[in-house]
Amino acid sequence: MMKADRKDLWSYRRAADATPVKKTILLVLVTAGMLSVLRLFNWWFREDHVANLFLFTLLSLIFWWGIARMVIVWMAFLRIKVPEKKTAPKGYRVAIFTTSSPGEPLSMFEKTLEACANITYPHTTYLLDDTRNPRFRELAKKHGAIWLELLDYPGAKAGKINEALKRTTEEFILVLDPDHIPFPNFLDNTLGYFEDESIGFVQVCQAYYNQYRSFTAKGAAEQTYGFYGPMQMGMNGTNCSVAIGANCTFRRKALESIGGHGVGLAEDLVTAIRIHAAGWKSIYNPVVVSRGLVPEDLGSFCKQQLKWARGVHEVLFAELPKHWRKLSFWQKISYSMISTYYMTGLTMFLFLLIPYFFLLFGWLPANMEFTEFLHLWLPVLVSAVLIYLFVQVWFCHPAKERGLHLRGMFLKFACWPVFFLGFLISLWNGTIPYIPTAKLAVKSFTPFARPLLIYQLIFLCSLGIVVVERGYYTAEARLMLSSGEVWGMVAFCFVAFLTSLGGLYAAYESRILDIAEPWKSVNLKNIKTPPADDVAIAPDYSLERRA
Amino acid sequence: MKTAFFRTLRIVIAITLGACLFILLSYAGSKSKGPLEDVAILLNKNLASFEKKIVDTRESRSKSLHWFDKYRNNRDALERPDVMLLGAYDDHTAESYESIISLETALGTKLPLISLYTAWGSKRTQVFPILRAQAIYDLGSVPLITWEPWLDDFDPLLFPVSAGLSDKNKGGMKAIAEGKFDAYIDKWATDAKNFGAPFFLRLGHEMNDPYRYPWGPQNNKPEDFVAAWIHVRERFHKMGAENAVWVWSPHPAYSYLEFYPGTEYVDWVGTTTINYGTVATWSQWWSFDDTFGKFYENISRYKKPIMLTEFGSLSVGGDRAQWFQSAFDAFPVKYPDVKAVVFFHVSNDNTTTYKSLDWTFIEDEKVVSGIKHSVDAIEARYGAIMRR
Repeated sequence: MMKADRKDLWSYRRAADATPVKKTILLVLVTAGMLSVLRLFNWWFREDHVANLFLFTLLSLIFWWGIARMVIVWMAFLRIKVPEKKTAPKGYRVAIFTTSSPGEPLSMFEKTLEACANITYPHTTYLLDDTRNPRFRELAKKHGAIWLELLDYPGAKAGKINEALKRTTEEFILVLDPDHIPFPNFLDNTLGYFEDESIGFVQVCQAYYNQYRSFTAKGAAEQTYGFYGPMQMGMNGTNCSVAIGANCTFRRKALESIGGHGVGLAEDLVTAIRIHAAGWKSIYNPVVVSRGLVPEDLGSFCKQQLKWARGVHEVLFAELPKHWRKLSFWQKISYSMISTYYMTGLTMFLFLLIPYFFLLFGWLPANMEFTEFLHLWLPVLVSAVLIYLFVQVWFCHPAKERGLHLRGMFLKFACWPVFFLGFLISLWNGTIPYIPTAKLAVKSFTPFARPLLIYQLIFLCSLGIVVVERGYYTAEARLMLSSGEVWGMVAFCFVAFLTSLGGLYAAYESRILDIAEPWKSVNLKNIKTPPADDVAIAPDYSLERRA
Repeated sequence: MKTAFFRTLRIVIAITLGACLFILLSYAGSKSKGPLEDVAILLNKNLASFEKKIVDTRESRSKSLHWFDKYRNNRDALERPDVMLLGAYDDHTAESYESIISLETALGTKLPLISLYTAWGSKRTQVFPILRAQAIYDLGSVPLITWEPWLDDFDPLLFPVSAGLSDKNKGGMKAIAEGKFDAYIDKWATDAKNFGAPFFLRLGHEMNDPYRYPWGPQNNKPEDFVAAWIHVRERFHKMGAENAVWVWSPHPAYSYLEFYPGTEYVDWVGTTTINYGTVATWSQWWSFDDTFGKFYENISRYKKPIMLTEFGSLSVGGDRAQWFQSAFDAFPVKYPDVKAVVFFHVSNDNTTTYKSLDWTFIEDEKVVSGIKHSVDAIEARYGAIMRR
């Protein structure tokens, strides 16, 4: 990304409206996709396809698990709803909570607190501090924020928020991650919705400003575009948009009705479930009114993912069953989907194992003709890609976010061992300490990349075994008839091998990153927002168009 | 009211368009099936052949069948062989021909013919079996392909003729002769031509048996079978597929002369000589002479080399070793035109009786040693030619 382009990030953005034409096109694509899936389904479960009942069942579960998730996401897309713009009523009392923990760089808070002070809607900023560093207090004072020293409260960030709730009285609380630089019009984009007394929280898009700095950062950001665009918008349409740790504005009453902000590794998700279960509604407003940091090195990214994987499974096992009966149909689906997202670690593990069962032991799960499978699967793939590309019209910042997001895919593949580990830890209810994600890149070849190396080693060894076996031991009369099958499987493994190279590259690049404080180059004066009263009247506000 | 109407209309239009897009995608898939699958099949064949070549530093079967090269690479030599060719069909060859190798090893020889069966139709597997043909060729043998004109498996969109009929096989031979299946035949012939090496093609075998296959006289007149045969062969000629050696193969138990397509359209005469023994109520122990003697008398007039395309005996009701022995003893004396014998070595045959029949003899030491003896005798007889 060019330097000039980076400036482009510092503008207010709003996702496109869900016009009838767009939704009709989407319905056309989804219908085609659904029919293709049904056709594939009808073909897949044929008795003569079963080669080994156990492996076939396993393969079917993994494959259809993935397809089912995809279909549910399509269904959610059909419900996409952009909330109408609402001007913030005058006179609300609003608090902004941002937290500082030991080890977090002071200079970052310089920007965050200054940006908070620039927020135009009258508010009070609180710095929830446990650094025991007097300079944080001075900084808060400098930017007109109230410094609250909250030492030794259990529950890390959420613990501090809950204590701060007790010490303050504002009706609305914006929980802002300290690495996020809010735009001056932040509150103008959230407060208006609280006029509806049933709204418990308003979430906005989570966008980043340092993705240009590395492969990992770009990939990590790419993974979020869909979620903070069409996905959350679809969830908004079914009243199940979720609160993310950062950038969520809460109604105090809603937080108090559930006994305060949720605690744990997935505190945001826990809070959202509880608020929904308590009968509150939520709004997802697809606007970019702040930008924050995304991990720049693979190690930090994996740590963050592990933390979430562990936390999210906790939601699945402990939180979701408790509130199940109080959730609406779509909320059930949505929370189940989110809390099983990291199970891809397990399914990917099994999926990668299956071809090796064949290559090393000759166990084949299914008697499917590959070309026949391709023939039925291609329509599904084409529909899926078309839908994937089409819903990008609802990205918050399409010009910068559009694409196939290959880096994001490489990174997701690189993380399957991490997801898997998170899943395993949840099984024995192990604990992972709550550590804020590193704000500065960590220069190292992360141990999280080791499973990728092991996978690559396994691939190369298996390749060696196959070559030796076929070169010296396979009967001549068997060689030709088995050639296509064996090398086809090797090719399948090879694709996974190639994909794992993406993660390896990210790990390697993390070693040579130049460490810098990305916030240093951010000039708050460059943040471009529409005049406050424009919010309600200019539906598709775009600065470029104006210029 | 108006809004509701327009909304419903929008959804209906969207779903209709979606269905159209789906049909388009599927149709594009079906259309591309030909080239896509051809590419996949060829890729598989070439990969297999390439791998075989790389690996071939080991002692290969084709080297020990070296004497046969002059036949398998020369259609004329295959059409008029001066040796007796042995072969086998085994049903456990889906993944490997190792069962054929075991049989050869037991008999102490290498079999120049390997038999396989394939049906007509639109399914992916119902194309010219190029991988198998190539695998057999690369092992040093010649494929004997029995090509069965079942007409029920054709895609109704592409072959409305067969789909339109309530019984797709009724009058099927006439439909073939009239050119209704030319697209399929031409494709098959082109693939066969691309395979390149000579091979035996046994089309519509046992066409005179009214109880077995749909191309039999219960559905077709003999002259329609003859017309179909001639038509197919002409299509092959038109496509330039001259590497097929045509084996006309009736059942000896029913009248067959009226099914003979004519001397210029037939290269070999084949027949089924299998003895069911007393396995079923309708069967009895027939000696080889009982089964074959009369047939030979009639058929040798055609002056064609004769191939026993399915040759075997069950063990129930008689002496199986003796059955084989007498057959082999009789070949040079009574049946000199028999130039090929293909063992029917099937362990799981469900085609004629309600229970599965086992035609294999590899475990039967008496039979194996008897046949081995006969094979040695054949090799002694043709040793000079084989060493040439």
